[in-house]
Amino acid sequence: MTFKEIIDSPCGIRYCFDLLELQSGYARKYLLDSRMMTTAEEIEEAYASLDKFTSLVEREPSLIQNLQFRLQGLRNIYNTLTSLEEGSALDDIELFEIKHLALLGDEVKQLFSRAEISNVWTNFDLDNIIRILDPDGLKIGTFYVYDSYSMEVRKLRRELESDPDNEELKDRLINEEERIKRVLCNLLRPYATELTNLLHSLAELDIVISKAIQRKKESFTIPEVGNSSSFEGLFHPEVKSILAQKGKVFQKVAFRYKLGEPGIIIGANMGGKTVALKSLCLCQYLFQFGFAVPALKAEMVPVENIVFCFGDDQDQQKGLSSFAAEMLRIDRMIEMVESGAKTLALVDEPARTTNPTEGSALVSSLLRILTDCSNLSLILTTHYNVDSSARCWRVKGLVEDIEGSDRLKMDYSLTESADNEVPHEALNIARKLGVSSRWLDEATKILDTQ
Amino acid sequence: MPFIDEILKYRSVSIVGLEKNTGKTESLNYIINRLPTDYFSVAVTSIGLDGESLDQVTSTAKPEITIKEGMFFGTSEKHYRERKILSELYDVSDMTTALGRVVTAKALQEGKVLLSGPSSGSALKRWMSSLNNYGIDLILVDGALSRLSTASPAISEAMVLSTGAAFSANIKDLVAGTSFIVDLINLPFFTGKETETEISSFSDLCTDAIRNHSVIGVEGALTNRLLQAVKNELIKGEKELVVNDFTRIFVSPDLYRSFIRRGGRISVRMKSKLIAVCVNPVAPNGIVLDSDLLCSTLSAAIGLPVYDIVKDREKYDF
Repeated sequence: MTFKEIIDSPCGIRYCFDLLELQSGYARKYLLDSRMMTTAEEIEEAYASLDKFTSLVEREPSLIQNLQFRLQGLRNIYNTLTSLEEGSALDDIELFEIKHLALLGDEVKQLFSRAEISNVWTNFDLDNIIRILDPDGLKIGTFYVYDSYSMEVRKLRRELESDPDNEELKDRLINEEERIKRVLCNLLRPYATELTNLLHSLAELDIVISKAIQRKKESFTIPEVGNSSSFEGLFHPEVKSILAQKGKVFQKVAFRYKLGEPGIIIGANMGGKTVALKSLCLCQYLFQFGFAVPALKAEMVPVENIVFCFGDDQDQQKGLSSFAAEMLRIDRMIEMVESGAKTLALVDEPARTTNPTEGSALVSSLLRILTDCSNLSLILTTHYNVDSSARCWRVKGLVEDIEGSDRLKMDYSLTESADNEVPHEALNIARKLGVSSRWLDEATKILDTQ
Repeated sequence: MPFIDEILKYRSVSIVGLEKNTGKTESLNYIINRLPTDYFSVAVTSIGLDGESLDQVTSTAKPEITIKEGMFFGTSEKHYRERKILSELYDVSDMTTALGRVVTAKALQEGKVLLSGPSSGSALKRWMSSLNNYGIDLILVDGALSRLSTASPAISEAMVLSTGAAFSANIKDLVAGTSFIVDLINLPFFTGKETETEISSFSDLCTDAIRNHSVIGVEGALTNRLLQAVKNELIKGEKELVVNDFTRIFVSPDLYRSFIRRGGRISVRMKSKLIAVCVNPVAPNGIVLDSDLLCSTLSAAIGLPVYDIVKDREKYDF
């Protein structure tokens, strides 16, 4: 799965992507095309690099600024490098691109060595490449077929200056310039792989710097790669920023789960169940794409599939109602789990669009059939009373604002609870929202007679 | 040398034509040829495609752009590959046009190039600011056919306008049409502190916004519909419309004139300096106007010097 495929996931990962201060369009494309990591080793390696760069962001801000400034000049010349490797003749523009890339790589290398930081850049040997395209050793990022490439080209150019309309001279000059370019390509060809590696490394550098800056600015954390997942101070950055604009504070929560143990989150309406689910999904994606995650402290497990069933899945193009679309999506998830792939499934209020009797039966049975799957972490939110032994988390819900007062406020914290009886706070919350009291009084009456 | 000294006072000058074949490219070549490029660093580009040797629409011969040694130019990849001069590549940008990315190069000898630079106003602005690294004193922008947007003060500080028989074969109409544009270019600055209200051409024009305010800011384009609505309210009091710059005005000359006659005012927030008007008395369909009569009539109407560059070339050459 690539980043591009999940960027519009309702968990809100696009917001985190947009926060990245990427300097080049190529790094953006490189990240979007990157594949989700699924092994602990890959993720640990990515985090080691992110950690190193986070400390650089803190210790060497001017180095980082310099690097970022240089990286603005990174261009996608992948096609040019492929042409070079395949043996095509390159023209002025393509040779310029290669020189530009090599000089950019060299500048980055110099910046690291001046700061006495050894890393992958130490291994790049760019001097030979630069020498081919910079015969006068000027180290200026411009290019043309220099006079110093051949006596012949220099002679022809001089002759043309005194006889500018001589077509024969012009043809000879063009031929000589073409010959020189072919020679340059032959000289550069052995370095094609090195140049491609350089291009990728520069994109990766741009990405890791922007991830490190994001980690610092947004107070994200690098999770430990472990055997179960647990979060302290988990938050959803987009919701947090929306609340901050309104002068409100996001209440961070704690949560944990592990493979083979399904969990349910119950609680009042507007209690933050969906936001909690979104945050968990967001963290898992960020984790597996090597980003820091929005929490104070976290431990996480890599999985092969992440399934997020959220909200109204109605698909009019396929002629599916929201119920049908949801059922099919959950069914696909069950198949995935049965195939043995390690899966994290986050399901927001399954079967809520049908009648409560069948709805709660569907939810209870789903939990029951998936209880023994050691390759699945299933977390679902629900308003139904379900008959299940799954670990149950409860949103604290409405509490007294100040002790002893009548005013109520929402406490979003999640606590583990032995009893999975769903709360009955819908009417209170509706009343808090200022909904017509005539309607709500009538509802209270009906509930009283029951 | 007419108007060259004036051009040297600005950082960016656009050359815009009121119609194709009004001699815009001639004017550009004329200017380039006379700039002191030995001590004055100049860059040139065009918005969109220009400098082709044959006019793409009317198939008449078009002069190519002649670049002098040391000048910078911005063109597309395709036209860079087809250039006939020796030049040093300075940048390959990520801005793309229909003919590939925009490249920036420095001419190492004098010669002809096809210019096809950034294709939108915002891309052009970005290209212009990317030149900051090369110590450029003046940027010349060749505007594409009948696109005044390049003359927007947001892009260039000053402009040279070219007009001619291709715009209208009747001297009277040509003078009227040209002097209308010149009037718009010379609209006065908005001197007030702020406007009382803002309206746009998409707003509901029957609202009190127009009726109850006398200084009205115009968001985006000023259209006939909007101007008419304001004109209808002139009876009840003074009205001043404030537009961003003259390139946002899309009204008919008749309506504009009658609005002004009734005491309405239009002012601009940004203004570019009109340096000169050049005329081409020859139209692609073969009509040739009397150059002297055209220059003198137009000059009298707009109160600015008017040059027939092709005819005057020998006169000003030295």
